[in-house]
Amino acid sequence: MVTIYSTTHCPYCKMAKDYFTQHNVEYKDINVEQDDAAAADMIKKSGQMGVPVIDIDGTIIVGFDRGSIDEILHLQ
Amino acid sequence: MFDLIILGGGPAAIGAGVYAARKRMKTLLLTKEFGGQSVDSAMIENFIGHNSISGVEFARVLEAQLRLQEDIEIKVGVTVEALEQQGDLWRVTDSKKNQYEARAVLVAIGSRYKRLNVPGEKQYEGKGVFFCSLCDAPLMKNKKAAVIGGGNAGLEAVVDLLPYATEIHLLVRGELKGDPIYQERIFKEEKVHVHRSVTVSRFAGSEFMEKVYYSALGSDEEQFVEAQGAFVEIGQMPNTELFEKTLTLSDSKHIVVDPRTMQTSAQGVWAAGDITDISYKQINTSIGDGIKAVLNIYETLQKNL
Repeated sequence: MVTIYSTTHCPYCKMAKDYFTQHNVEYKDINVEQDDAAAADMIKKSGQMGVPVIDIDGTIIVGFDRGSIDEILHLQ
Repeated sequence: MFDLIILGGGPAAIGAGVYAARKRMKTLLLTKEFGGQSVDSAMIENFIGHNSISGVEFARVLEAQLRLQEDIEIKVGVTVEALEQQGDLWRVTDSKKNQYEARAVLVAIGSRYKRLNVPGEKQYEGKGVFFCSLCDAPLMKNKKAAVIGGGNAGLEAVVDLLPYATEIHLLVRGELKGDPIYQERIFKEEKVHVHRSVTVSRFAGSEFMEKVYYSALGSDEEQFVEAQGAFVEIGQMPNTELFEKTLTLSDSKHIVVDPRTMQTSAQGVWAAGDITDISYKQINTSIGDGIKAVLNIYETLQKNL
């Protein structure tokens, strides 16, 4: 299960979502700009406030770190 | 063994990659990601040939055009860990400990956000200290924020924060240098407080950052503003730490190049884009410089066959 916590205009959030789509990875997009509870959840999970935060089956990645995403999802 | 290894995935590197492939040079391109810092632009309106293109779309277009080329090997998601001379060749080690050798290397790994290097900055990165206002300003909803830097990037950060933060403190070392169009915009807002001729001394808090300490230039007396987020927008620094021993760097730590050829001080190593000491850092000119470098590399390798 892949969840991405994002904000509306964040370029790295968009790049990450495009990357998932391109590789047929299903993901749930949570916009923390519109959802305060989700923002709190994201901060609790990642220990910080920056977006994007990507949760892949409980592994938390802060930022669009393509290397880590590839490794966990066995892409490329 | 490669003819050429290109380090980077921004405009300079992609311009170089496309030309190298068309010259049928055996080329490897290593990059963490595509687009370079242009990704941070909400909209690029001065890229010649496009009236307007978002930074993310621009990165996608660059990657797509590079991948259209046949004779180029591309590794994404890696960074460079070492560049060493091995006789007539250069050896590159990446972050996955893979090693590659080539007759020529083009360094185009650009620059990153400059840090203040004050206490608390590293500790609170992501926990109140931010560098991408476009990304993280929305997290300041109903919170107090600070912006450090009075250039265009600083003023843009203030504008990004306007819809969210309740109070915005802009801390600048001298006077505001950003474009009048931004200055007019922020001076209209009561919640924006400009602190001129100040220097930030530290960030403090508990788990998250809570206060930004500063003092007037020439004074040791510390004052503070309360802020849950501080956006540091004081410019860029080149990613040259790795090359301090191998290449000649300028006082500002940019790689010194011959602007006619883009050759560095080390034979077999070229550089292009924001990492170089070239004047005017622009997407359009970076692409040109990457291409110029590759054409010179091609000529040089042909001569030394």
